[in-house]
Formats: sequence, C-alpha cells, structure tokens
Amino acid sequence: MDGREHQEDVTLACADTRDRLQGYLDGTLAKSESVAIFLHLRDCGGCREEHEHLQAMFSMLDELPQLPVPDDFDARILDSIPLAAYREMEPLRRDRVPVFLEESYLPAWLRDARTRLAGLSVTLAAVIAVAVADQPQPLLLAAVVGAVPEILVRCQGWARQATLAWRRAEN
Amino acid sequence: MFDRRQDLKTIRRCKRGEEDAFKEILERYRGPIYNLCYRMTRNAEDARDLGQEVFIKVFSLLDRFDENYAFSSWLFRIATNHCIDHLRRNRLRFLSLDGGVGQDGEEYEIQLPDGGPEPDTVLQRKEALQRLDEVIGQLPPHYRAITLLRHDQQLSYDEIAEVLHLPLGTVKARIHRARNLVQQMLKARAYDI
Ligand SMILES: [Zn+2]
Repeated sequence: MDGREHQEDVTLACADTRDRLQGYLDGTLAKSESVAIFLHLRDCGGCREEHEHLQAMFSMLDELPQLPVPDDFDARILDSIPLAAYREMEPLRRDRVPVFLEESYLPAWLRDARTRLAGLSVTLAAVIAVAVADQPQPLLLAAVVGAVPEILVRCQGWARQATLAWRRAEN
Repeated sequence: MFDRRQDLKTIRRCKRGEEDAFKEILERYRGPIYNLCYRMTRNAEDARDLGQEVFIKVFSLLDRFDENYAFSSWLFRIATNHCIDHLRRNRLRFLSLDGGVGQDGEEYEIQLPDGGPEPDTVLQRKEALQRLDEVIGQLPPHYRAITLLRHDQQLSYDEIAEVLHLPLGTVKARIHRARNLVQQMLKARAYDI
C-alpha cells in the first residue's frame, strides 16, 4: 500500500507479515489478513524470499519419507492382548444398567409377589366400592396406593429391558 | 484425517475380545505410530520397542478409553508421552548443535523408494530431506513431537490440541516456535533448502 512513503511503515508491515507467514501458509488466517499478506508479498522482495524459504521448508516437512514397519512388529503385541479377560468382561459390560434399574434397588418386600397381589386386591376392591360409595375420594386414593408396588416393579423391568436392548444395538 | 466412527466401532469389537478387531487397529495405526516413534528417537530398534509398548499399553487399557474423544487422539497422546518419557529417561543429547550425527554417533541415511539412476535434483532433494530429518531429531522433545504430529502425521491444529490436551492458541504458538527453531538450525548450519 502506501507504506513505501514511510520507511517505518515498511518495516512494520514486513515485521507483521513475517509474523503471520506461517499462519498464511497453514491457511488459518482470516481472509482479509491473507489478502493483505498476498498483496505485501507481491510488492516486497524481502518478504517474498522469506515466504519462499518457509514454503520450501513446509513442503519438505510434509514429505519426510515414511519408513516401512518391521515385519515382526505385530507378534509381540498380539501375544500380549488380554483377549480372555475382555471376553469374560463382555457380558458384565453389556448387561450393566444404571443402579436404579437393577432389581435390588427396590426393597425385597415390595417386589414380593404377595405384596403386589395384596396391593392389587386393594385396588380392585376399591374400584368396585367406588361405584356404590357416597364419598369416592378415599377409595380412589386406596386404589392408586394399592397398585403402586406392581407399577414400580413393572416399569423398572421395562426400562431395564429397553436399556439392555439399546446397549446391544449400539454394539 | 482418521475415521473416528469407524475406529469407535472397531474398539467396541476389541472390547468384546475379537482378535481381528485388534488386527484392524494395528493395520490402521502401526505405520503412523512406528514412524512417530522413529522420528522421535531416530533409532529403529527403539522405535520398534516403543511402538510395540504403546500398542500393548493401549490394548490393555481399552476400558479406560473415553469415547468422547477420538481413538486416534488417545493413541497419539500415549505414543507422544511414551516417547518423551523414553527420551527423558535416556537423557539424549537434545539440542547438541554439532549436528550431522544420529544418536548412535553414526551417520545414517534416509531410505527413499529407489527408482533407477538418480538425477541431480533428486539427489539434492534427498540430501535436503536428510538434513531436515537431522535437525528435527535435535529439537527439544516437545517441539519435535508437535512438529511431527503436524507435518509427519498431518494432524490438524484442532486434532493436535486434543492429542496434547492443550488450548488451540498454545498449539499454534508451539508449532510456530518449533518451525522457527527448525529454520534457525538449518540456517546455523548453512543448510539451504
Ligand atoms: Zn516486507
């Protein structure tokens, strides 16, 4: 630009350009910055030379030859893999569900078939009684409370099945 | 540049104990990891041992692999750290600026694919690459690692940040610094590239 008029501006522009040359070559600069550098390089021989040097170095760095891997490289690794341990762990890993979905998360007395049956009987009796009662609210409450053990056990079971199915599908 | 989803699928098969899955991972990564170890140590024997140790470690720790990260990042991280630890243990001559000599004290040669008689320019190129290789081998280990991840392994800045657990700005600054060092060292030896 009009840097040529002021010696100071020229050096500033050069210093700035050289600071950003790596970013310019990496393509990580903002477009406006890239354009400014492109224009500066067009006009400034010193920076252009620096740019060419850097570019040559970059292309060499990218081109360092890849060495072939020794033939016996894998054997020691494959021998060391704890395959048996992974296989043993697998069912445990796969069948792992969050704690609140494990059966034991609910107290045993609540899961007991007798509790659930008793609860359901209460619910049934309450529902029948609602039809003939003058005051249905307490009976409705009893119906709901009676069904709680069965509902908890069922919902937990379904959620557990769904989680396991999802885990298996994911693998 | 590595296929993250593909890797994740393979890793899950590894965790089920499928030997073929481990072989697939080796197929994908043994070249990059071996070469990284080789350029870090400049010694083929060490590179083989270190590379093998990296895979042995990774394959025994799969349960600790955090699936929120790319497997390649985790692998490169373990490899980089393993090489740097190795160099530290052995107290190699970092930055001994009397270049031209590999760590065994011998001149060694880069092997390029051979295609009949070599014209001058190819020979020059080969020599230049050899000098560059030498200079990289004398960078301090952290700079060496970051340069190799960027140029030899062609990882992006973002990927390198994930590998090294560093902020992006630090990664950029370090790579720039590393390249400046390379350039200075080349100049100091009057090597022209
Ligand atoms: Zn300039």
